[in-house]
Amino acid sequence: MDDVEAALKPVVYYLSYALAAAEYSFYKIPGSAVIARYVKSSHQNDPGRTLLELLLVIFAISTLLHSRTRADKSGRHFIKFTEKEIDELVDEWNPEPLAQPLDEDEQADLAAVPVIAGASGPRPTLVGTGKTVLNLASYNFAGLAGNETIKDRAIETLRKYGLGSCGPPGFYGTIDVHMDLERDIASFLGTEAAILYSQGFSTISSVIPAFCKRGDVIVVDRGVNFAIQKGIQISRSTIRWFDHNDLNSLVEVLEGVEKERRKRKGPLTRRFIVTEGVFENDGKMVDLPKLIELKLKYKYRLILDESFSFGTTGRTGRGLTEFYNIPASQVDMLVGSVANGLNSSGGFCAGSKVVVDHQRINGTSFVFSAAMPALLAVSASEGIRILQNSPQTGVLERLRENVRAVRGVLGGVRCVEIPSCEESAIVHLYIRSSSSEEDQSYLTTTSAKNNPTSAQPRNPPTFHIASEERLLQHIVAECLSHGVMVTRAKRLRGQEMVEPRPSIKLALSAALKREECVFAATVIGDAFVRVLEGEGRMGVAK
Amino acid sequence: MVAKLDTQTRRWDDSTNSTSTTPSTYSSDSSSLDSNEDGDSSDELTQPPPTSTSEKAYGTLHSEFGHCLNQEYRRTSRHTLGSPVKTAEEHDPPYYILLSTYVSYLFLICIGHMRDFFGKRLTATNYIHLMSHDGYAALNSDFDSFYTRRLKQRIDDLFSRPVTGVPGRTIMLLDREFSANNTNQHLTGTRTRALNISSYNYLGFAQATGGCADAVEEGIRQYGVSACGARLEGGSVDFHMQAEKLVARFVGMEDSLLSSMGFATNSTIIPALCGRGSLVISDELNHASIRFGVRLSGASVRMFKHNDMESLEALLREVISQGQPRTHRSWRKIVVIVEGLYSMEGTLVNLPGIMALKDKYKFYLFVDEAHSIGALGPHGRGVADYFSISPRRIDILMGTFTKSFGAAGGYIAGSKTLIDSLRAHGHSGAYAESMSPPVLTQVIASMASIMGVEPPLPPHSPRTYVNGHANADRRAIEAYDYPGTAPTSLLPQWLSLPPHLRDGSEGRERLRRLAFNARYLSIGLQKLGFITYGHPDSPIIPLLLFNPGKMPAFSRMMLARKTPIVVVVVAYPATPLVTSRVRFCVSASHTKADVDTLLRACDEIGDALDLKHGPGKRWSVERVIEHAVELVRGEVE
Repeated sequence: MDDVEAALKPVVYYLSYALAAAEYSFYKIPGSAVIARYVKSSHQNDPGRTLLELLLVIFAISTLLHSRTRADKSGRHFIKFTEKEIDELVDEWNPEPLAQPLDEDEQADLAAVPVIAGASGPRPTLVGTGKTVLNLASYNFAGLAGNETIKDRAIETLRKYGLGSCGPPGFYGTIDVHMDLERDIASFLGTEAAILYSQGFSTISSVIPAFCKRGDVIVVDRGVNFAIQKGIQISRSTIRWFDHNDLNSLVEVLEGVEKERRKRKGPLTRRFIVTEGVFENDGKMVDLPKLIELKLKYKYRLILDESFSFGTTGRTGRGLTEFYNIPASQVDMLVGSVANGLNSSGGFCAGSKVVVDHQRINGTSFVFSAAMPALLAVSASEGIRILQNSPQTGVLERLRENVRAVRGVLGGVRCVEIPSCEESAIVHLYIRSSSSEEDQSYLTTTSAKNNPTSAQPRNPPTFHIASEERLLQHIVAECLSHGVMVTRAKRLRGQEMVEPRPSIKLALSAALKREECVFAATVIGDAFVRVLEGEGRMGVAK
Repeated sequence: MVAKLDTQTRRWDDSTNSTSTTPSTYSSDSSSLDSNEDGDSSDELTQPPPTSTSEKAYGTLHSEFGHCLNQEYRRTSRHTLGSPVKTAEEHDPPYYILLSTYVSYLFLICIGHMRDFFGKRLTATNYIHLMSHDGYAALNSDFDSFYTRRLKQRIDDLFSRPVTGVPGRTIMLLDREFSANNTNQHLTGTRTRALNISSYNYLGFAQATGGCADAVEEGIRQYGVSACGARLEGGSVDFHMQAEKLVARFVGMEDSLLSSMGFATNSTIIPALCGRGSLVISDELNHASIRFGVRLSGASVRMFKHNDMESLEALLREVISQGQPRTHRSWRKIVVIVEGLYSMEGTLVNLPGIMALKDKYKFYLFVDEAHSIGALGPHGRGVADYFSISPRRIDILMGTFTKSFGAAGGYIAGSKTLIDSLRAHGHSGAYAESMSPPVLTQVIASMASIMGVEPPLPPHSPRTYVNGHANADRRAIEAYDYPGTAPTSLLPQWLSLPPHLRDGSEGRERLRRLAFNARYLSIGLQKLGFITYGHPDSPIIPLLLFNPGKMPAFSRMMLARKTPIVVVVVAYPATPLVTSRVRFCVSASHTKADVDTLLRACDEIGDALDLKHGPGKRWSVERVIEHAVELVRGEVE
């Protein structure tokens, strides 16, 4: 026993020394005396409490360490396998092919996409047939495609700047011509500032998440385009839907959100209304004055996508704000497409300086993408100049004249339904529903309650997508054989939140003559009648 | 002026047609091409060094694409087969640097909060947009924007510097003045020409003169500036088809699809690749566009440690054996997404390592070659070319045209089935504007000149490489057949390239110059004692600064030099908090003298800012410059 004691002696001695040293150094830490006193007195009063506190400390430390390990591994569902089992599982696993081959319809669809040989314009030649056709499919609203002044300016720019910007705006990609175009857009619209994105489609899906974060509320129209859908998806905000282009429904939803907020007594969150000026999916136009009134009343910020109204609507193509004579500064974030409206490339968001500067750091596709080529920016600036002069040159007047001409002809065709508004340079053509009951159910609102948390409308209109698309594709082919190039509105079926109704999407242009438009519309109308008659759908329609 | 230069260039082109057999060189009187424009002061940035009459000078503008004739300053960018793939060795700085970095941030944050505290009470109007008011929540709350307002704004003069002209070898800055704590800026009207070591211009195709620019001019004349619409609607022109075929040929895939924006290539195509029930395994440092696309796709995401094959394998074993969360059903498919060359780190993906794992674990491989395409490999075909791995073994190759090709937009390449499916189901086909014709022309012209157009093919150009390596390696090399030249049939009829572009000689020259410059700068900086990240063959070279205060100092000192140099500094949140860095992007357009200039500048500033904390023996800058060729060849240690 003595031996053991003797052997343990240095250990005990060392331990007590270590303890003393630890105590000494502990007391050297400033403020440690307070802790020591606290521990001592609390232990004296209530020894149980010391134990509890100790347990709490252990729990806190274990939680801290715990959260570093991956949740899956420690979760209830994690199964422990041996290495051999894993090897077997790996061998057994057979992934699906990366991509399924397209089915016949999809292949035919892809093959039927018209390809223009040479420059696009009002009367291009097609690859394959080599025929010259009237183009009612390409976006050339103000007829800027092939404009010689723009070409000259583009070449001049090329000779000074080269083509690519070779960098994102943050790192030497901010070229003076970008700043010029931003200024041009801002002063054209009458906003404080504007910011340029390098692709139209990616603009709004980046603008929305730059402002709307988790916990914010976005109230969205059910008929918004795909880019907006992607934007709100990425934002992770709380989404509330209102009926397509129905501001009464919007009021209901706004009231509902307000009620919800009062009930929860939560902190004030950012609230946004997101909608389109002229809807990409059907060409309807929003009642902007009413919308502005609502957003001011309920204190929402408005993100308005003018991708299809900027450059076409209004006296000089400034869009809805000009059409309704509302200062553009009333719209908090006005998003437009430089690609569609100005026949260049890219998109923009105009608004106050605060709004724009915020995006220069938080707009994902602005920050992480190369700036647009200089010559495209200059072409767009030139496009704005042409639009500004349009009252003198009558460019947009010609466009509106053409829209009227086409609508005039097609409005008289019984089996064609035009949902688009008269101001829209995009004219959608639906196959008129075959029975009148369906028509009514589509138009009237019944007692069914709007569910703002779901993208699906309360009375989903009935149409058969596959068969209507097939018919419309026949019509497109029929038109093409008569020298008129039109296109079905292409949608990613199964990926849209609300399936838009199949339509033919006409893109009118100021570069077409009125007679050409009348001719084209007649061809389209005839094709509708012929194809639908062939299908026996006309009989029902009568 | 520009037009005059252009006619001059073309005149030379014509003359070389008949006289010279090495068409990319011209007689030395071409320095008149570099006569001053825009009242530029004449210095080494715009004037090529005087050459003796026996030497030949390039037909390029020296300020855009430097004249560098010494064939010693060339290298082939290729991985030595059989050698292990170098993973980034990250050297830690001394502890006092780390400590002072943390203290700096702490200090900045404290000062920032103090300024906010007093500012809100004394000048409330300046904070109105940060606070709830009139029933509106703040657009960007004072908390969310703290970093931007209190840290970044202090050094706003380093970012978004406005420029004009070509972002080539040199760049023209528009000088700015800041006032009111950097909240206001205005242009002073003066300009500064600086050496550009920051643009993604790897092969130097950012040019306003020369064969590509001429082709683009012709393209604009023929096609205008817009294709007017989405690809699946009315926005397809024959030119798109031609470019897609050429791109597929360039990268060695069956088919390819173009997108008008590089960012959108990832963000709109990845959702069409995978969805619910699929798993994306993503490198932790992948680009924002990949993350954006993956988030939209609805697929599950797991991340692995940057370029770490062990971490990837462990993760693969876990996810395949566990299956989907909770249900334990097996994954429908697993897509591993990596980048070829990481833009903030300069690291090169360990492709051989991933290929070995791919064979075993049957995942699909998506390689984002945004920075590596054109910049790496003996033929410029990216990482697969660099590692002599057949591109067909990779499932999806993505890349952009912004960088090496001096254009814009991006592509996805893969099997015909895959690409057709993406054409039909990707977002951009139906909804986004198609690529504009001038951009397409630049892509085709620059790409064709890297590839060389068939016929004729110079007889000495070897198509396969056989070296004396181990057997397995030799088989690998023999199996690797690089994607080849551009057949004339893939180019538009009207496109005429000058002979030195057409035969690929200039393309090869550019690739070799880039490879030399990249390695020279990277090794040179290490020899000087700096801590750098990334692969020595990477044209992106990050130099570690650590302390936040050294970023503005470095950048401003570089710009204030006799030969001003523009650099990119990056810090948190783009990098981890402590590893603030300056990032150099070298280009084929830089001459060896330019890299020398940069090394000298770094050496001086590095001493002044105490940046040299790298391991190993330090060399003097003169010694580095003198032994450049040996350093690049690896002949000295």
